[in-house]
Amino acid sequence: MSAGLVAVLFVAVALVAVGAFIAVWKRDLTAALAGLPLMFGGAGVAFAGVSRFAAPGGPPALGQGVSALLAVAALALVALGVGIAGRGTSR
Amino acid sequence: MDSLHAIGFYVSAAISVGGGLAVAFLPGRGSRGVALGAVGVGIAGLYLSLNAGFTALVALVCYAGCALLMATSQYRVMETVVADEPGARRAHNFYRQVGAVAAGGLFVLLAYAAWRGRFAHPTFFYLGAVNSDSVGRLLFAHDALAAEAVGVLVLVALVGATAVWRVRDRGR
Repeated sequence: MSAGLVAVLFVAVALVAVGAFIAVWKRDLTAALAGLPLMFGGAGVAFAGVSRFAAPGGPPALGQGVSALLAVAALALVALGVGIAGRGTSR
Repeated sequence: MDSLHAIGFYVSAAISVGGGLAVAFLPGRGSRGVALGAVGVGIAGLYLSLNAGFTALVALVCYAGCALLMATSQYRVMETVVADEPGARRAHNFYRQVGAVAAGGLFVLLAYAAWRGRFAHPTFFYLGAVNSDSVGRLLFAHDALAAEAVGVLVLVALVGATAVWRVRDRGR
């Protein structure tokens, strides 16, 4: 059993698709926000996969750094969205 | 990728995608938060199977935070409703100030890491120098079928999302 760049990209696209589906399907804003981490996670997996398979002899830290940045950005966006949603309901 | 890493990759992929579907269809914020935590575990496993251990750790922490925010957002809204009382309002303002100071500290930490970090500058990989020419050859010549398949999948996902959006708007 093996997994290559194609499998990584398919999984990444599946995560982005599920995230987009959640963002569109949910009526509640805080529930729709749950799609953001999935979409960012899919992009991060794609970056890490390309970095893993495209540079077997070189430093793969660039794609991994972008993936970590995307994870932090997803957390920040969810926090911002939950804050905005809570502020909107209290007024 | 050897068999052990491949098994870990596929199991993690199943956990992350299954968790995402659970986030979409499970009722209740608590269960959705748990499902989002499962997504984080799956994505961290994906990073780990791709030899990105530090990124897996960062993703695990960040997705745990996302799951916590999702699971507790309901109680936060209730807290703001109750916060009309003077004591509760003072406590609420205290937590807001603690959050603001923590966010400022995190920003300072990130700025320090960006200033002190030694970032990699890759100049060469197996298809040549790292530039738009070699990356284009990688995507559209070496892995052309994969790039086209991914493009078709993205198109189908966007068309499906647009269709769902329009159907939902029509129902209102």
